[in-house]
Amino acid sequence: MFEITRHEGRARLRGAVLLTVGFLFIAGLYVALFPSIEQSGVDFTQYLDSLPEGFRAAFDVGRINTIEGFLAVELYQFIWTLLFGVYVAYSAGGLVAEDVETGRIALVLATPVSRTRYLLEKFAALLVPVVVANAIVPVGVVAGVALVGESISTVDVVGVHLLSVPYLLACGAIGLLISVWADRASIAQRGGIVAVFLLFLVETVASAADYDWLGVLSPTRYYSPADVLVDGTYDVAGALFLLAGTVLLLVASAAYFERRDIP
Amino acid sequence: MSAISVEGLTKAYGDVVATDALTFDVEEGEVFGYLGPNGAGKTTTIRLLLGFQSPSAGRARVLGADVSDPAALRDAKRRLGYLPGDPAFDGSITGAEFLDYQGALKGESRREELLDLFRPPLDRKIREYSTGNRQMLGIVQAFMHDPDLVVMDEPTSGLDPVKQARFHEFVRDESDRGVTVFLSSHALGEVQRVCDRVGIIRDGRLVALEAVADLRGRGGKRVDLHVDGDVERDALTGVDGVSDVSLFDGGAQFTYTGEYDALLDLLAAYDVADLTIEDPPLEDVFLRFYGEREEP
Repeated sequence: MFEITRHEGRARLRGAVLLTVGFLFIAGLYVALFPSIEQSGVDFTQYLDSLPEGFRAAFDVGRINTIEGFLAVELYQFIWTLLFGVYVAYSAGGLVAEDVETGRIALVLATPVSRTRYLLEKFAALLVPVVVANAIVPVGVVAGVALVGESISTVDVVGVHLLSVPYLLACGAIGLLISVWADRASIAQRGGIVAVFLLFLVETVASAADYDWLGVLSPTRYYSPADVLVDGTYDVAGALFLLAGTVLLLVASAAYFERRDIP
Repeated sequence: MSAISVEGLTKAYGDVVATDALTFDVEEGEVFGYLGPNGAGKTTTIRLLLGFQSPSAGRARVLGADVSDPAALRDAKRRLGYLPGDPAFDGSITGAEFLDYQGALKGESRREELLDLFRPPLDRKIREYSTGNRQMLGIVQAFMHDPDLVVMDEPTSGLDPVKQARFHEFVRDESDRGVTVFLSSHALGEVQRVCDRVGIIRDGRLVALEAVADLRGRGGKRVDLHVDGDVERDALTGVDGVSDVSLFDGGAQFTYTGEYDALLDLLAAYDVADLTIEDPPLEDVFLRFYGEREEP
């Protein structure tokens, strides 16, 4: 077992390291920027009042004048939730569709490996970038914050990263469902990006426009970095819901993939 | 028991029928050639046999496993080797890494032995491989877990003549060891050289199923002869095995089904400037031996 995951995971390691370095760089920029923003005496309250309601809701900007709130908005809400989520969905979109499009899948499925096992092991390889980034970036964030003379709860930083894992897996599962259905990798990859981005928007607009129920299927609803960092509130039920959703999407993907013709 | 058993196997994509009620058996230990022009349905048949696609009608068994039963077929694949036509690899890994991966999934007891015969540059990234090297890597992975049955789609495409000959010899040796081989080809000569029996597929239908020994006498060769001077029609038509003669200035073209010695005697009378003896196009073979074109 796990031969496919090992093989695919190794191929993803380089990308995962580069991604993590990128995240560390961005995190470093934000952390380094914070003291100067704080000192510049910008009246955040006034600035925030001038922002559209939807934007304020989307990025939880209400608490941006503390290091916790600042990182929650700039780093976790935007980079982690949106960009990393989109990246994982994009990668997942290519998982099966790329093998099908190139014909590489033939040599794997000619071995005594079930399609479901192939699918799940490929998906598991997505954990490589998710785990590497979530293991290293929090260390950088805590160290960086200490370096600029601020302080932040280490437990909450670890918590915000830990809770992002179910969220990112859900994004990946959405991409995978598109991947088993599409024949072309580029379509599945773009589909993954669009789906996660749209779900992010739906949740944002819905919560801002009194159509709260609309965002109920958006993964974004069940992961709130600001709640963790600013309030110390952990949405464990949300995380479990995301994991359940991931499992459901994997089951659906496998059920369809077992039956479809592979060109 | 048959290694492969196909009964009424049909695959349609909408209105297009790719394989139409195919029925044939491949016996254990034989080398079975699956001959047909491009687009005849050879690859579709192979995909059905490997369970990549589901039949629209009919059934097939591979090593006893029903291809519509994924669990049974998966079990059978332990004893199955497969070489796709123009095999696709992950170009970013080396040949050795690819074989490690395949070995982990299905076994690799004969890997080293095969690498003595076929030598792709294992330490190089596969994207740097020539077509011939990719094909050799594909052949090694198809046989390295010591399968009982090997299915190959156009296995010699991309191999130079020397490597083709080595591969044909290898297939005969494998057959002597008891391995069953199913190979598709669009080259009559290849099938005649290595196969025991041949199924000929055309427009998705099996048009002939016979022993190679029977086919050999019927296929003939296409002879393209250029000489100094002219060729008389009578000089050719009088010879046994010559047919379809067409003359042109300084030469002739004809089909020859007789003994080579007699042909050489015939040619000795001329100042031969250029000579080509090759397999006739498959379509010509169909026309000659399986009646008129069946469909427009």
